Amino acid sequence: MSALSPNIATRLAPHALTIAIAAFVVVFSVIEPAFLSPDNLVGIVRQVAMVGIMATCMTFVIMTGGIDLSVGPVLALSGVVSFFAMEAGYPLPLVLAAGLAAGVLVGLLNGAVIAFLGLPPIIVTLAMLSIVRGSALLLGGPDLHSIRDQPGFTFIGTGSIAGIPFSIYLFVAVSLLVVFLQKMTPIGICVAAIGENERAAFLSGHRTRITKMSLYAISAFGAALAGIIQSSQVHTASATYGEFGTELDVIASVVLGGTSLMGGNGSVARTVLGVMFLGIMNNGMNILNVSIDIQLIAKGAIIALALALAERG
Amino acid sequence: MRVQSAFIAVVLFFLAVLAFFCTFAPNFATASNFEDLMAGFSFIAILAIGESFPILLRGIDLSVGATLALAGMVAFDLTLMFDVPGYVAIPITLAVATLCGAINGALIVKLRLQPFIATLSTLAAYRGLVYAISGRQLVPELSTTPLSDPWIMGLDTYFDIGSATGLSSLVEMPWVPLSFFIMIATLVVFGVMLGRTRFGRDIYTVGGNAEAARLAGINVGRTIITAYAICGFCAGLAALLMIARLSTTTESLGMGMEMSAIAAAVIGGVSLSGGIGGLAGPVIGTFLLGMVLIGLTLLGISQFVQQILTGVILLIAVGHDRFLAVRRQKRLAANLAEEA
Amino acid sequence: MPAAANVNASVAQLLDAHGLTKVYGNLVALDHADFRVMRGEVRALIGSNGAGKSTLIKVLTGAIMPTSGSVTLDGVELPLGRPEEMIRHGIGCIYQHSNMAPALSVLDNIFLGRQPTRRFGLVDVKAQRREAEELLKRYCIDLDLDATVGELPTVKQKEVEIVKALALDAKVLLMDEPTGWLAASDVRRLHDTIRLLKSRGVGIVYISHMLDEIFTVCDTMTIMRDGRVIAEADVADMTRAKVIELMVGDRLARESSAAAGEARHPRGNGDIRLSVKGLSRRGMFRDVSFDLYGGEILCITGLIGSKRTELMHAIFGSEPRDAGTVEVDGKPVDFRAPGDAMACGVGFVPEDRHRDGLMLGMTVTENLVMTTLDRFRRLFLLDRRGIETASRRSIDDLSVKPADGRKLVRQLSGGNQQKVLVGKWLRLGPKVIILDEPTVGVDVGAKAEIYSILRAERDRGAAVLVVSSDLEEVMTVADRIGIMVSGRLRSIHDATDMSMAQVVAEIGAE
Repeated sequence: MSALSPNIATRLAPHALTIAIAAFVVVFSVIEPAFLSPDNLVGIVRQVAMVGIMATCMTFVIMTGGIDLSVGPVLALSGVVSFFAMEAGYPLPLVLAAGLAAGVLVGLLNGAVIAFLGLPPIIVTLAMLSIVRGSALLLGGPDLHSIRDQPGFTFIGTGSIAGIPFSIYLFVAVSLLVVFLQKMTPIGICVAAIGENERAAFLSGHRTRITKMSLYAISAFGAALAGIIQSSQVHTASATYGEFGTELDVIASVVLGGTSLMGGNGSVARTVLGVMFLGIMNNGMNILNVSIDIQLIAKGAIIALALALAERG
Repeated sequence: MRVQSAFIAVVLFFLAVLAFFCTFAPNFATASNFEDLMAGFSFIAILAIGESFPILLRGIDLSVGATLALAGMVAFDLTLMFDVPGYVAIPITLAVATLCGAINGALIVKLRLQPFIATLSTLAAYRGLVYAISGRQLVPELSTTPLSDPWIMGLDTYFDIGSATGLSSLVEMPWVPLSFFIMIATLVVFGVMLGRTRFGRDIYTVGGNAEAARLAGINVGRTIITAYAICGFCAGLAALLMIARLSTTTESLGMGMEMSAIAAAVIGGVSLSGGIGGLAGPVIGTFLLGMVLIGLTLLGISQFVQQILTGVILLIAVGHDRFLAVRRQKRLAANLAEEA
Repeated sequence: MPAAANVNASVAQLLDAHGLTKVYGNLVALDHADFRVMRGEVRALIGSNGAGKSTLIKVLTGAIMPTSGSVTLDGVELPLGRPEEMIRHGIGCIYQHSNMAPALSVLDNIFLGRQPTRRFGLVDVKAQRREAEELLKRYCIDLDLDATVGELPTVKQKEVEIVKALALDAKVLLMDEPTGWLAASDVRRLHDTIRLLKSRGVGIVYISHMLDEIFTVCDTMTIMRDGRVIAEADVADMTRAKVIELMVGDRLARESSAAAGEARHPRGNGDIRLSVKGLSRRGMFRDVSFDLYGGEILCITGLIGSKRTELMHAIFGSEPRDAGTVEVDGKPVDFRAPGDAMACGVGFVPEDRHRDGLMLGMTVTENLVMTTLDRFRRLFLLDRRGIETASRRSIDDLSVKPADGRKLVRQLSGGNQQKVLVGKWLRLGPKVIILDEPTVGVDVGAKAEIYSILRAERDRGAAVLVVSSDLEEVMTVADRIGIMVSGRLRSIHDATDMSMAQVVAEIGAE
């Protein structure tokens, strides 16, 4: 749904996705009733929490026709930076701020080069991927750094409130925040306008370059938050996390949600649906013991289908 | 094609970097180092040659790394799992790689997908396929079995040029790997194709002004598919050379190599805006990158800094390319504004 | 009798297009048009936008198939609707925008897409060069065959295009706005080439708005309007004023007498809202100065190519200027970006609504508030209710049909799209509103509605600046009329002092 009101093409897509989700849930639970158990369902959401956060945060970037391939290394970097902040004895809020700031900084850099120098997003974020990865490795080496005696930090990834993992609360919070930004603030219209017709947006007085730059910062923020959750979950920080393929899952979720990679109208809410769809597919196929390669091929086929439909819509 | 100023710039820069490292990096100006340089980067140069074709068409191929891995795995499986002899396995591998490239082209032409979207998808698909057909997963013992087929392993030969030409009496000469010669052959064949055939002219036309190409009756779709197929072929060739050198393959072969190939092409003067550049530039660009990486290692600079530098170099190359493109636009506008 | 080369009439007739008609549903784009070109004749094809010129050209090049009619070349009837056939039979076209591969040499471009080949597809450079050199000699054209086309000055690129067409044995050369990108000296050189081609018997169709050029190099002219050929004449028998009159038609006379009844408000309420002094931009416009008053509509008119759009962009701040000052309400301003101009109460409705004005994939409401989002911000939140109300009001005021803010703009007709575009800028409540060709591609009904919208703005006290090539429109809405020719603002008159004929005369004067 666009910021103010639905338009016809996107009216169909969310329904298609919701129907598909419902259909798969039905199919999976019929074949294997354990699918519907509360444990399993919670597990699904917990698993997609990180990708979900990254995908909701990257939606705006993709709506402007851009892309952010550097989220994997940013994820690693924030974990490593947080680790060193904790080792240095800083209190938890500062630790988190450091990790998130590291990510935001990378995002601003991406955004500045893309928006102000006009270089293509795909290449800029591809280059930044290498730069950030190298920086993370420089900072923390290829080693795994275990996180010990940090109850506050570890709670983020492993703790629960009322039986539901904290990371799910974070996912929900971030999703609500970004959806709120899109629907309830001018940002939604501004982003869609840039994606639809950047020149017209500029001529209408919009500060398109600053806006674009901030969007990349938001995308990197999501990756940084995911990195903190990751390190927290496995009690380890490493510059090697966020390996290749992370960004593909994120992009796939956004695309499945119906947002076109060419830019224009898009929806964060539908990205969440896309994330859930991917999570359900993964989980269901695992429960059914479908082999990895068939899973990959199935995922690839679904994404190709979604791409073809998105370009048409 | 005309010698561009960008190409001259690359050559000069190459010589400057060469001089720098020969002077300051210990053991740089040695025969064994140049051997490593040639052995380690000839196949990347082949990738860069292949990548130049899509970029000349104003497109891009992000899937070359994945295609390379797929080709490597195909060769691996054929020789180790099915005992197919090398002289059959090699053509099949090349055919598969070429097909992968052609599929990219077809997606772009028939489904009208943007090149980066199409090749991003095939990147994922081909990587997935590598895992799916991986002999190392299907037959676990094979993960420790080295390749032994004489045809493939024969690709990893070295030639003692020094003795053959008698130059080794003057100075210690590196042994030149076969991959270097194969790379030169690739450069010559595709260079002639690009520079002297009508197909090559068509590539410059489609890349420089697609509308003009259409109006001139050029079959734009066929040109695009062929260009991406060539890129795939080069990835297959590079794969064979790589697995010969490693005497095995892994599922993550070629990970990240698309970036090196693109960087080398752009550094070599192939413009991202299409229709400009030749093939010699990317080759020089590859060895330029190679020298920088090896030279920095010899200077004791950490591998991680190198990774950072590779990204920075790509950014600078692309930034420079964009600067040239903007300047071309301005010159066009200035032409119009000669007199009021 | 059309001028002919020194050959008798029947042999001289080269191209004979007869009764060409093209109908698109209800729209008659071409209405039984006849068009003839003799050997060695340079015939101008003149008409304003929408007159049917481009349709005629598209039929001649085979890009479209006419509903009826025939085209004969050298006595042979041509198979229509097939570009390759038209080229094969000898109709060449040099388009406005470059049709060449910038990285290839002149030689390769001459044979674009059909370079002669030997074995293995290798290009036969020797044969190519031989053929090209022969052509260059025959037509006395001087080109460096090995130069890279992208680095050539534009006039040389045009020459390459000419040789390319000649290499295809073009007997008739259509030149679409050939001097659009050329400097004055280059235009002279191009005209020399044209004269040379003419002496070799090539028939040339010179499609242009530049009356000066037409009177310099053409022998004859064909004037089109509303899809019909309304006049054919020798250039020697015509004057500029007569040409413009014919282009614009006598419906104008009726309209302007009806409009004469309307009250005019030159200099409006007497407050100078916008003051422009000595504005210049190299290669575009020079030394433009004028004052715009609140409560008036100033129309700046002229032929296409007088660089009025560039002038407006320079005033608004979306494009640079080299010299001169702009003052709003007496205070000098330096607009670097559209946002600056908007903050001072200046709005700009651009000419190309699809490229520069509207977001086609977004809703009418979203487009309407595109310039005023800030006003609907309560703290961080978007005041959606306020937006809906404002949108409904705009839709009402402008009579946008369908009156549904949720419709996508691309689903609206051209006229309604234009209303949304104008509406988005009016929402700003601007002190000064600039409109560039506000009714191009808009149906008659919507045109009238837009005129009353403009008058309402004027009556509200805004200063309205309209750029228009449509003389009918100018005579209908203007309180004052400014005339711009080749980048210079010639004069400004009160509308009450000018008759249509006088405007026409001034536009066409030397």
